[in-house]
Amino acid sequence: MVSTVTNTDVKQKDVDQAVVVAVTFAAVFEPETEDGSSIYRLGVALPLVQVLQRVNERLLEKNPAEHQLFDVILITTESWQQQQNSSIINSTRHHGLEVGRFCFSTEEDYIESLMQNNVQLFLTTDGNEALQATQQGVPSALLDTNWVSCPSEQLRVLFCEKAIFQLNMGSTEASKKSAQNFLAHLGQMKQKFGVFDSPLCFTLVTSHGGKDNCCCALKSLRSLGVSVDEAYCLGGAPRGPILSLLRPHFLLSDGFSLLEG
Amino acid sequence: LSVLSPSDPPSPHFEDFFKMTCVKPATLQPKPENSITIAVSSRVLFNMDKEQQIFEQQGMEEYIKYQVAHETEPFSPGPAFSFVKALEAVNTQLRDLYPESEELFDVVLITNNHAYVGLRLINTINHHQLFIERFCMTGGNSPIGYLTAYNTNLYLSSDPVKVREALEQGIAAATMFTQEKMTEVSETQLRVAFDGDAVLFSDESEQIYKAHGLDKFFEHEKAHENKPLDHGPLKGFLEVLGKLQKKFYAKGQRMDCPVRTYLVTARSAASSGARALKTLRSWGLEIDEALFLAGAPKGPILEKIRPHIFFDDQMFHVEGAAEMGTVACHVPYGIAQRQKFSISEAQESMRN
Repeated sequence: MVSTVTNTDVKQKDVDQAVVVAVTFAAVFEPETEDGSSIYRLGVALPLVQVLQRVNERLLEKNPAEHQLFDVILITTESWQQQQNSSIINSTRHHGLEVGRFCFSTEEDYIESLMQNNVQLFLTTDGNEALQATQQGVPSALLDTNWVSCPSEQLRVLFCEKAIFQLNMGSTEASKKSAQNFLAHLGQMKQKFGVFDSPLCFTLVTSHGGKDNCCCALKSLRSLGVSVDEAYCLGGAPRGPILSLLRPHFLLSDGFSLLEG
Repeated sequence: LSVLSPSDPPSPHFEDFFKMTCVKPATLQPKPENSITIAVSSRVLFNMDKEQQIFEQQGMEEYIKYQVAHETEPFSPGPAFSFVKALEAVNTQLRDLYPESEELFDVVLITNNHAYVGLRLINTINHHQLFIERFCMTGGNSPIGYLTAYNTNLYLSSDPVKVREALEQGIAAATMFTQEKMTEVSETQLRVAFDGDAVLFSDESEQIYKAHGLDKFFEHEKAHENKPLDHGPLKGFLEVLGKLQKKFYAKGQRMDCPVRTYLVTARSAASSGARALKTLRSWGLEIDEALFLAGAPKGPILEKIRPHIFFDDQMFHVEGAAEMGTVACHVPYGIAQRQKFSISEAQESMRN
């Protein structure tokens, strides 16, 4: 049984214009509480949540009436987590995280919960969760625990090609559309800032195919209104080293589910 | 090895040239660990002076607008262009002889530009039919991390700060400048010329020259003839060129090897030259021609040799070579950089 709880500590975002991003409990918190309390320790995705908050702050600085903001939801994906609902709410408030809502669901119904809440991007540290959500049409990205925990003033999003095994999974028309919508939102948010000192940084990395392939990707992102800052055409060279350098908060590919590190 | 005087430049082999332009080379990209990676910045590969001016005078937003508006207009060649073309010519000949091998030159375009400006660069690469399949548009960040991560053997840029950073990371690097005059160079034989001290060799002897003058330098070098010098920042690049040369020799192409190297040094054949040659020998490296100028200007000799690129640590020599049409680049390494004024700067200030 899914329950959704509003976080009254946080000003609620506009239902129509906010960009809803769901992050899993396991990404935001450690599974153990602090000694002698029911407060969970913060996990790898803390800097990510903070940088989403930072983007919102910068957007509001530009326009105090801005509605196109990130609306962060914390979602549980396992029964035991669902049962810890009050501790989770308390921990979130205790740490002052800008989480608008909580979705208490289990492994059975978390995807339903994502859909009910119009989640435009689902972020998780669990590969299976990302895969399943994508298959059901919810754009998702796998968080790499190495990079997501780097503190930053800038949200770094990396666009890359489909993972090779995605050819079998395929994504639905609906999920493609959702993915494009999300990209368009990102593009619009970025356009509100100049080239320097932007809180959003978009990078494209193509591993396979030549420069013309990379250029096509740049042009199609451009047609969606996404202004790319950096582009790396690796021409077959391994992707690991450049990813370690770039340390993106998350990677997006066509199908929005990247299952390679 | 010609010690006393340079040979005349070999006549171009027109049959080979036409053969190369008709044969379509393979487009398989070598893996970075096997290939010789040459990273060139956009402003040395192409001439972007006009756009640079717009950036400096009108700012980033106008600059990007301009570039995007002219996206399909190709840039004209910059100082590194003929060098890159020559690298491709060598690759073509290597592929002919060793079709399976990945030991080839791999040129990577590095630019500080934002990705959309990069589209104009890609269009230009296609227009000039350059075989560059890898690029790095850093959107303003330093490319040094990328260079070290991907086994870069040589980095050429117009930005001396980045070049210094690369040298500090142990990557062979040099600063290139826009030149008014660039004489014609071979399209079939890659020619690379190096200064000796503080380029191939460390600057240990140059420190003596700076402190005590040329004569003392010659004396010191003769006395230490048998002690190899320490290596300089471009030694590794000479080494990889040597490896490619051996591949040509193995197929009987020693006399007309498509890669030719030159040492152009102020050292004197009579005294200090021997230490340079013995050092190279101790490293197991060969150089095709060593030109000992005993302090004479390098411009005229280089004009005869016509290298695609000449590396020197002193701006005085770089400028002298460039004035006569040789593409010369500066290796900002060693004691020569710590001088308050170079000789040419002193001359400049006297003119004003």
